[in-house]
Amino acid sequence: MGTATGIIRALNSGIKHIAMKRFTLRYPEEKLKFVGDGYQFDPSTGVGIAGLKGRHMLFHDHCTGCQLCSIACEGVAEAIAMVKVPEEQKQNKKSIMPQIDYGKCVFCGLCVDACPFYALYMTNDYELSSFSKEGLIYTPAQLQVKPYVAQDSEIQISDRGATHG
Amino acid sequence: MTFKLPPGLALQKVDEKIMTLNVGPQHPGSGHMRLIVQIDGDYIVACDPDPGYVHRGEEKMAEYRNYILNIPHLERPVIHDSCNVLYPYVLGSEEILGIEVPERAKYVRVIASELNRCIYIMYWLAIYGIFLGHSTMFMWPAGDRELLIDLMEKMTGARVTHAHFVPGGVRNDLPPNFEDVCLRQVNYFEKRIKEYAAIFYDNPILIARTRDTGVLSRQDAIRYGTTGSVLRASGVDYDLRIKEPYDVYEELDVHTNVMKEGDSYARSKIPWLDMLESCNIIRQALQKMPKSGSVRTKLKPNPKGKGLDSVYKRVESGRGSLGCYIVSDGKVEPYRVKLSVPSFRNLIALPNLLRGEKLGNMPSVYWSLNYWPVEADR
Repeated sequence: MGTATGIIRALNSGIKHIAMKRFTLRYPEEKLKFVGDGYQFDPSTGVGIAGLKGRHMLFHDHCTGCQLCSIACEGVAEAIAMVKVPEEQKQNKKSIMPQIDYGKCVFCGLCVDACPFYALYMTNDYELSSFSKEGLIYTPAQLQVKPYVAQDSEIQISDRGATHG
Repeated sequence: MTFKLPPGLALQKVDEKIMTLNVGPQHPGSGHMRLIVQIDGDYIVACDPDPGYVHRGEEKMAEYRNYILNIPHLERPVIHDSCNVLYPYVLGSEEILGIEVPERAKYVRVIASELNRCIYIMYWLAIYGIFLGHSTMFMWPAGDRELLIDLMEKMTGARVTHAHFVPGGVRNDLPPNFEDVCLRQVNYFEKRIKEYAAIFYDNPILIARTRDTGVLSRQDAIRYGTTGSVLRASGVDYDLRIKEPYDVYEELDVHTNVMKEGDSYARSKIPWLDMLESCNIIRQALQKMPKSGSVRTKLKPNPKGKGLDSVYKRVESGRGSLGCYIVSDGKVEPYRVKLSVPSFRNLIALPNLLRGEKLGNMPSVYWSLNYWPVEADR
């Protein structure tokens, strides 16, 4: 193949893309859709449930303050600290619950695997940026709130290329 | 009174013709590493690679954590190829801890590993494109990589650093309807990467810049101990997926791509052919995978080895053979974890490839070695 043919073929390959649809995602107007409600773990079978490893969610009525999540995190990121909570739960004698520092968390989800009481899950919320370091530390009360997520964009494939529709 | 200067400050005799040039350590490509190049005019006389700027002490860190907690940090050396970096460690610790892996988990691992190989190669290819001043080849792979990252995100819950493999299988089962989505996106991905041939691999400008530069002969490739795409580009048919099959690679039909030239062009084309092969493997694995069943053997908390024991396992990663040597002394933590990384072995060939080349050819030769600085320094 000659040099001229090669260059024309290369240019032609690029020109074809004028007719193709835009592939990029217009964040934050569009947001990616994820499977499920976030990564969860079933201690009875020892297998997780697929989902995005985003911000955690803590169920106060399940947490016993056993510190297993905090111990798991010690070897990874040291992001979890056990703090006193004002409320009194029947199963939580010491009234301590995890507080998570998202400045340190690496979102590996091993704390969720460590919890034997179905108290800690992960959610689809990944927009955690903050203007201060203190804003990244989530207290047990903040972790209790279920995040609002409006994510609907999925990859669509057609003859004119892939898009985020 | 005489001062003895430390070696770095000692004055060197300067040759009028030869100039020493520091390329790096601030990002000559990706990751911090320095090439000390001596040039005579436009020609390279000698090259001394100086890795070690991103040493993280992964191996020492592994001695203080148990077998499970080692997972998040051991995949950090190559975050784009995190499943493959973790693979030998997981295979080794399974043998030490004496865990059986369910059949379905093996297939899930193979799919994750092949997807990760493509993700890594696409990133590498994007950087190879921008090294040669081909901006389109930077944008296209970076964009098309998203198709596979989306699959990994559905499968593992993270876009990079998945922490998905554990001793005993994988951490979660595939989401519902994953097989169809995976097949659709992998097919489209294959169609897309075939388009790269016209714009990049058959492009006369690329061929002029990479053909016959940095030629590594077959004998030298074996002598220096290079692995992966560098070895296959020099005409040696060696792939661990065929030579030492792990998990279910024995049951799959795997082909290797070999080129005889051993120049930068061959070294840049072999990973692209590997990606096409990976697409085939993914399709086969999706077809042969058991449709249901367990994906993880339940572990006891803090699993231990049985006593003094050592194991060496290696896998074919995106860059070549990646080995992990684990010594256990029966405690909760491994006694020693040693990673034998392909990047470091491929780097050994670099000084010999660059001797006599023009300085302008240095980026194309350097990055064609499939080298990842962070992995070499560990």
